[in-house]
Amino acid sequence: MENNRNNRIDDLLGSLDNVQRATAPDFFYTRLKSRMEKELVAEPRKSWALRPVYILGVLLVVLAVNAAIIFTGSSSETTPSDSETMQSIASEYRINSNLTYEINE
Amino acid sequence: MTELELIQGLRNGDENAFRFLVTTYQDRIFNTSLGIVQNSEDAEDVAQEVFIQVYKSIHSFKAESKLSTWMYRIATTRSLDLLRSRKSKKRSGLIQRLFGDGNEPLYEIPDFHHPGVTLDRKENAAKLFKAIAQLPDNQKIAFTLHKLEDLSYQEVSETMKTSIAAVESLMHRAKLNLRKILEKEQG
Repeated sequence: MENNRNNRIDDLLGSLDNVQRATAPDFFYTRLKSRMEKELVAEPRKSWALRPVYILGVLLVVLAVNAAIIFTGSSSETTPSDSETMQSIASEYRINSNLTYEINE
Repeated sequence: MTELELIQGLRNGDENAFRFLVTTYQDRIFNTSLGIVQNSEDAEDVAQEVFIQVYKSIHSFKAESKLSTWMYRIATTRSLDLLRSRKSKKRSGLIQRLFGDGNEPLYEIPDFHHPGVTLDRKENAAKLFKAIAQLPDNQKIAFTLHKLEDLSYQEVSETMKTSIAAVESLMHRAKLNLRKILEKEQG
């Protein structure tokens, strides 16, 4: 019984011995060429500007410009407005103008 | 045409070289893919993808291995990719069935009959192919390349970028696993 079963499994395992190679379908080359023509024509050419390295570079430049504007803008604009505010507060409360000078320093 | 001339021709965009490549290797690539994906249309699709990739990547091919080895490697990788996408489709089909209206049938792989098998072995071979489909990927590749494509252990090891001893081990485990699966199927 066990022998029969083993023989049956051996038959199954040996069923691919000396198998012939399957051949590609007819007109394989023609179909391949037609697919390639479709795919290669339809495939959009990637512009160099769309490469990640260029995109990242542009982003970094934009960020740097933004940062420069923020920093230079804040240092030039806040000083006079801050001192004006201080002066108006000082005059309103009649505080000595030296205090404003000290704060600004 | 020597392999070197063929590679040079492909790099120069020579259509005759490409036609020669396809007619020389189409059966080997198709047969390899067919053994793995077990469906004629899918195997043709994979074989086409292999030649398209060769056409596109020939400039980066360093010729450290034979052209055929490189192509077998692409064919096995692409075939496994297709099996994975088939599995994920099957999984999403199951989810659809669980949450959908339940009428969609699950995609089942029918019995596969390899055209190179003789009529008297057809039924047994179909059972063996069903068992091969259940093998782990690397055992499946080693078994298919050796049994179906008749590659030597040396050639299989070059294709799989491994040692001959590793291929021997893969084949041994593949045979043991197939025996187990078939015994279970036989009851």
